[in-house]
Amino acid sequence: MGKKKNSLTPTTFSLLHATDFADRLLYNIVPPLKAGMIVLADRYAYTAFARDVARGVDRAWVRDLYSFAVRPDLALYFRVPIDVSLDRLMARRVKLKFYEAGMDMGWSHNEQESFRIFQGKVLDEYDRLVEEFGLSVIDASTSITDQQQKVRNLVARQLEKPDLEVVNQ
Amino acid sequence: MTDQKDMKDPAPAFGANGHIQPGRYYGHGLPYAPIDHYPGKIIAIEGTDGVGRSTQIRLLREWLEVQGYGVVETGWTRSALMSPTIELAKSSNTLNKLTFVLLYATDFADRLEKEIIPALKAGFVVLSDRYIFSALARAGVRGVDRAWLRSLYGFAIAPHLVFYLKIDVDTLIRRVLSARGMDFWESGMDLKGGDDIYDSFRSYQNKLLREYTSMADEFGFRVLDARRPIDVLQDDLRRQVQAFLSNADLTQSPETLPV
Repeated sequence: MGKKKNSLTPTTFSLLHATDFADRLLYNIVPPLKAGMIVLADRYAYTAFARDVARGVDRAWVRDLYSFAVRPDLALYFRVPIDVSLDRLMARRVKLKFYEAGMDMGWSHNEQESFRIFQGKVLDEYDRLVEEFGLSVIDASTSITDQQQKVRNLVARQLEKPDLEVVNQ
Repeated sequence: MTDQKDMKDPAPAFGANGHIQPGRYYGHGLPYAPIDHYPGKIIAIEGTDGVGRSTQIRLLREWLEVQGYGVVETGWTRSALMSPTIELAKSSNTLNKLTFVLLYATDFADRLEKEIIPALKAGFVVLSDRYIFSALARAGVRGVDRAWLRSLYGFAIAPHLVFYLKIDVDTLIRRVLSARGMDFWESGMDLKGGDDIYDSFRSYQNKLLREYTSMADEFGFRVLDARRPIDVLQDDLRRQVQAFLSNADLTQSPETLPV
């Protein structure tokens, strides 16, 4: 629907993603949490905080919008400079997606240039979030092995905390 | 979901302390869409289903156009973006109260940015068949947090006039039954208060009417008795709209003028 016609505004973009998130929260996140399981979320509300504000929606508004979300026990932020992420995407010959490259903002007709401008703003917002929400930063320009080691250490430390009820499947 | 930690405290409710300014955003607004000094006006007609809103709006529109005003009409779930999605979601069972609220808010945002704001800029009178208040009432009845709802709709623009067509539940029931019958959603059957559609309609509409009443002061509704005959109600509407518009200048911006 909306995405194909390139007709989303920053606010309807934000609201549609919040709707999708609300749906997944209720069906895919809350039930396993109640069952004492671990939920691995590939992106969370923080993505919206960074991306939607980069598009121009109000910072406080989007945080209130997601106030129905469960605060994660551990939030990992894989930080990488724009050049590295762009090189990686190009190396895999990934076609930049319209919204991912921020093409809806009309900042540049060139996809790579638009991506650079948009993701620059997104990264600035993430830097704010690290402090505000205590995200654990992983340097994603290091080797995968190094990153994974750090992730495992952080997760292990989290799981040692006494409040998690371990449920064996 | 009582055992969950909130991401953040909800924003304070707007309107409750008398800071509403017609033609301005209620809350945080859209930072990328400044609307100050736009000459158009928003007139919202609110009221529950079956109260006679569409009839009154049709008559009001004709009259305004004869007076020479440019009129744009907008109505709930009519956005090009969301209308098909909302219909689809209603026809399946996947809609819970939160996604319900968010889909409606998306529909409203789409119409606000694509219809209402451009019309205000061009000096039109925007006639809105329902505004955010129906969404607030429906969600309120379903137990959605009121402060959160007000923050969510902080991007909405406060209308210049809000008319609330007020009716009692007994008159409403007779009108709805003689017109087209009771429908699943208007009867609040999703609240699962029982299989009897009449009982469900009565109880749901009673709750809705209480929600509207509780918002009347907060949002400065002009309450109109909708039990009166169509032409009497219409005369009342026209008199109040006329009084407002005759003191308003819809031609402030140079590129615009009412036809």
